[in-house]
Amino acid sequence: MNYRKLPAGVGDTLPAECRILTEIKVRLQNKFTACGFEPVSSAALEYYDTYAATENRIPQERMFKLTDVDGKLLVLRPDTTLSISRIAAANGVSCARLFYFADKWDLRNAGGIYDREVYQSGVECLGEEGVFSDAQAIAFAAECLKETGLENFVIDVGHVDYFKGILEESGLSDAQTEEVRAFVDAKDAPNVERALRRAGADERTVGAVLALPYLFGGEDVLDKAESLTENARARAAAEHLKKLGALLCEMGYGKYICFDLAAVRKLSYYSGAVFTVLTKEFGAPLLSGGRYDNLADGFGAHIPAVGFAIGLKRLAAALERQGSLPEIPAPALVVAADAGAECAAYRVFRRLTDCGTRARLSAETGRASAERERKSGNAVLFVTKDGAEESL
Amino acid sequence: MINFALAKGRLAEESAEILARAGVDVSVLKGNTRKLVLKSADGAYGFFLVKPYDVPVYVEAGVADMGIAGKDTLLEQGRNLYEMLDLRIGACRLCIAGDPKKKDILKSPRLRVATKYVNTAKRVFAFRGGETEIIPLSGSIELAPLTGLADVIFDIVQSGSTLKANGLAVLEEVYPDITARLAVNKVSLKTNPDVLPLVGRIKEILQ
Repeated sequence: MNYRKLPAGVGDTLPAECRILTEIKVRLQNKFTACGFEPVSSAALEYYDTYAATENRIPQERMFKLTDVDGKLLVLRPDTTLSISRIAAANGVSCARLFYFADKWDLRNAGGIYDREVYQSGVECLGEEGVFSDAQAIAFAAECLKETGLENFVIDVGHVDYFKGILEESGLSDAQTEEVRAFVDAKDAPNVERALRRAGADERTVGAVLALPYLFGGEDVLDKAESLTENARARAAAEHLKKLGALLCEMGYGKYICFDLAAVRKLSYYSGAVFTVLTKEFGAPLLSGGRYDNLADGFGAHIPAVGFAIGLKRLAAALERQGSLPEIPAPALVVAADAGAECAAYRVFRRLTDCGTRARLSAETGRASAERERKSGNAVLFVTKDGAEESL
Repeated sequence: MINFALAKGRLAEESAEILARAGVDVSVLKGNTRKLVLKSADGAYGFFLVKPYDVPVYVEAGVADMGIAGKDTLLEQGRNLYEMLDLRIGACRLCIAGDPKKKDILKSPRLRVATKYVNTAKRVFAFRGGETEIIPLSGSIELAPLTGLADVIFDIVQSGSTLKANGLAVLEEVYPDITARLAVNKVSLKTNPDVLPLVGRIKEILQ
């Protein structure tokens, strides 16, 4: 075992990449702050029971577990939205707009597009309900991504109640519904049909669910979605998406929006509109979010909310492939001292950096080392013993 | 521009034929080449020739926009992608097979199962009484019960002739209709304007 190696699915970020992530972070943070969001940070270690006890639990096998000195089981934060919901419920926060930059840990076989340590940035709008709140969250997601330089993306919007509504009157058990959900999520029509027939669903349900995998695209799919079912909950979901789409169009985001009523992801705390941001430069969503009005109930408070999280490393990869990475600033000016001119050089360095010039003070002294700095491509300001400044 | 991940081997010819009927220029696939990346003459299609087991990996990551993979492989890997069409080629069954004279062995309190489908076998046997020991193998699975390495095998069965030649028989059919599926990357479907029309054309020729 080489003690300098890392476990699978985690990685150090070296300056070349870290500079880009930092620049993305600065842009996002300025955007968040300018739009009235407050920072929040949650502990990386939490009790296992926090997640085992809530209804919207993270699967046990997907959490990194540790044991505390008293034998209690701890986990590394598996989901930041859950943590923030816990923080809000525990501290009596019923209304807030929050942002964070945080890692989450996901115990899975790493490789390809999946990491086990995932650096995310996100916002949570707590204590808000209604279609205007959803529209604001989606519009803000678009603005945040544009701020980082991303272009040509699609915001795929769905609603969890459409699928739930269609199936609630079908008489399927929870396990059967979950089986159908997985097939719908994979747009696997042959198995959707097989599973529904096996479960004895009625013709109208079979017809509606079978249409689901293809219910994606522009606003016309919402009309079709309404016509497929009499179920009040499902129709309300389609109606909600219509209003949301109209509002987003008026706000100027129509060109980004498409709908997918079969977007029924597994993470089950979403209770309303859900959305992901897709771009052809990356094979998985860069951003995902949605409404989760009942999540805090499990922590003893009712806080309707909507939010989203951005996968920062995915975003950086997409920006790189689009050729729109933030520009890397020119290298800093090197201030080098002649032997005996250390204090003079330090004063020059202070004068430059205090007024905003990027400079680095060389640790070595003497003309020879200054020449070496120049030869390696740096602009050098050489400070001589009599205090003169010489550009090399 | 659409990039395909296509399996070398038993599905290769039939896959190419379906794509050709849907208007994809597959002439570049007909030559005998050792190249792994091929492009159609008009530049509209790229083909990556990969091992069947690797098709879902390329599609999930979005390196390929779509691919053709057996349902057995998709079941085993459980990857996050769309399985949009049943292409109805390469039909086979996922079965438990063993010595036909010892059918009762399935009720054994500790069953040893040899398979290449480790994840699928774990799921299948998780819901049965008794403990199961899964023995992962990568080929010639039929050898395992013959040599005493395992009690039964869990594997795909096409004609059943390999089983028969080795004195084995299907004891239980678990997934009766394993066929090739059109797998599509979840992002490509919505961001690559060429993908959905092609899915539509393939769907039409299947009807």
